[in-house]
Amino acid sequence: MADLEIRNLHVRTEEREILRGVDLSVSKGEIHALMGPNGSGKSTLANTILGHPAYEITAGEIRFRGQDLTEADPEDRAQAGLFLAFQYPAAIPGVSVANFLRMAINTRRDEPIGVREFGAQLRRVTELLRVDRDFTSRHLNDGFSGGEKKRCEILQMAMLAPEVAVLDETDSGLDIDALRTVAEGVNTLHAETGMGALIITHYQRILHHVTPDFVHIMLDGRIVREGAPELVDQLEREGYDWLRDELEVVTGAPEEDDV
Amino acid sequence: MSDGNGSRGRPAPRSTKPGAARQATLYRPLAGAGAGNGRAPDELRAAALAVFEAAELPAWRRSGFWTTSLRDLALDQLAPHHPGPDAAVPDVVSDAVGDEPLAGRLVQLAGDVVDVHLDPELAERGVILCSLEEAFERHGDLARRYFMRRLTYERDKFEAAAAAFWTGGAFLYVPPGLTVERPFQILYAIEDGGTAQYAHTLAIGDRGSDFRLREYDLAAPFFGQALHAGHFELYLEAAARCRLLHLQDWSAGDGEVYDVSTHFVRVARDAHCTWIPIHLGGRLTRQHLELSTAEPGADMRHRGIYFTEASEHLDLYTVDLHESGHTTGDTVWKGAATGASRASYEGLIKIDPGAQESHTYLQTHSMMLSPRAKVDAIPSLIVETDSVSASHGGTVGEVDEGQIFYMRTRGLSRQEAVRVIVEGYFEPIVVQLEDPALEALVRERIAAKLAAAAQDIDAYAAAR
Repeated sequence: MADLEIRNLHVRTEEREILRGVDLSVSKGEIHALMGPNGSGKSTLANTILGHPAYEITAGEIRFRGQDLTEADPEDRAQAGLFLAFQYPAAIPGVSVANFLRMAINTRRDEPIGVREFGAQLRRVTELLRVDRDFTSRHLNDGFSGGEKKRCEILQMAMLAPEVAVLDETDSGLDIDALRTVAEGVNTLHAETGMGALIITHYQRILHHVTPDFVHIMLDGRIVREGAPELVDQLEREGYDWLRDELEVVTGAPEEDDV
Repeated sequence: MSDGNGSRGRPAPRSTKPGAARQATLYRPLAGAGAGNGRAPDELRAAALAVFEAAELPAWRRSGFWTTSLRDLALDQLAPHHPGPDAAVPDVVSDAVGDEPLAGRLVQLAGDVVDVHLDPELAERGVILCSLEEAFERHGDLARRYFMRRLTYERDKFEAAAAAFWTGGAFLYVPPGLTVERPFQILYAIEDGGTAQYAHTLAIGDRGSDFRLREYDLAAPFFGQALHAGHFELYLEAAARCRLLHLQDWSAGDGEVYDVSTHFVRVARDAHCTWIPIHLGGRLTRQHLELSTAEPGADMRHRGIYFTEASEHLDLYTVDLHESGHTTGDTVWKGAATGASRASYEGLIKIDPGAQESHTYLQTHSMMLSPRAKVDAIPSLIVETDSVSASHGGTVGEVDEGQIFYMRTRGLSRQEAVRVIVEGYFEPIVVQLEDPALEALVRERIAAKLAAAAQDIDAYAAAR
């Protein structure tokens, strides 16, 4: 059984149903890419995996390493080894990146982390990601540029060393340097700790720097196609329309609620 | 110094029908009040007593927003207590102040000064720290020159009471050109229910002096009601610099402290004051805080925090007064409210005629942490000249669910996340206290208030 198992997941907000039966498995050591057009439900899936209270699960389940997390609090999912790199990270004024990381690490330990151990770990990670040390004394995401916010997400991922990380459009809007930082962070953790990743993206660009083992395509709240990395090339050449056309051929006319 | 026999012959305050004398909390100037003008303290007492006798219990009303009424205070049940000069310094004082080396310290318990200490080397160099009573005996000219120079006793019954009935008191004088790195501490403590404490601090920084002053208002746990009616005045002469902190924490135990006080700071030519009041609680607080940049080149930074809980009522009125041109100011207040508490803040920028080339800014931020709490923050502006820059801004916020979810995905519980958000909100002001013991105390008290209101905060955040 995979580490992260999502089965027949149906999710709705107050307004409408967004996910309509998602099945997805991600194990440690695997890199998955999830692609799909705007509004197909990718971010909803990411937030639901971490337990966002605004999304209601109406059917299906989320299991992680055998544990049923469908109804679990976000902090329990985090402590179990899941991580979400946000598309739009929240700013927390008055709290330094370093202090926040220390608090987050301490939620995973019985004894608080020692000053030296924490300092050494932070040094290693900031060097790896080529982030200025001053960065960690700034207030968390407060006044950060878009690129800085994304680097900060990857910095947190590297410090917290999750079993499986979900990256929600972390590549969007990044210049090539920041994109490389993000990619290197994922690749290094993958190589060193065997971290699994679900990389949600619109664009093929990041997948030139991180090679996925599996590619999934989401349309209208379902995963409609899964395959090898070559699928990415096809999307790059042809967009999503061929996929819609093909689906209609296979399933006949779109179901009523697909409209 | 007090004779300590407990009956000082001052009349007990008389109760009158509450609320009949209502005042709008619009600008009622201290400016130019000049109650002192070299008059002997006894003359002032007599004049203030006449006002006190004639005045009714006040209520402050900001039409459409709030009313601060003292109708729940049983004034006739209160009396000034005199524990005597040899009484022990209460634990609440030693617990709060830490063990940082000081330039000097004065402690007043109820109506008597019970402890004065001044570094002998500083005394040698002309620094004076003693009770205000002693200052009138031994440094009469100096004390009379400044006493009540800009305060009044005429605006309401409590102001009159403080001017008529004060005992003990604190007097600090820092001579010209002297820099004192270590802070001076002045503490007012109330230990027993039924106490009416009438406080008066007079502090003077002479030309080119540079010092730190901290005033603490603290209550030990007790039952029943108490009153603190106080005056505070600080005069900074040319090129003097002062870092002034006020810590008000009347909320220990079940005691109900009513605090009606007026604080005034005057900043002269090229002088500077950083003034940071911290309000951590009290049953009812009504304070007028006024900071005047009075001569060219005067500059001030005003930073304040309040945090109300349970059924506390806070009514703060601050004035950033520019009496001369080429003066600068910057005011930031941050508040939070839990429970069914009521926090009202009004911050006025007033620029007098002729005070051209004044530049100032006022911001007020508040955070609601309970559906039953009420917070109002009103910045206002009276500009009576041209060629100035004066502006204000304000936010009333709530803890954001997006921030909470973000931190929970990193492993923090909802309650921890709220604490981090609220502490982070206050932190930029807390670090400016530049006193590790005081910073730790403020953080600890904020955390305790949040923990006490945790259920309420959760329910509120989840409901939105």
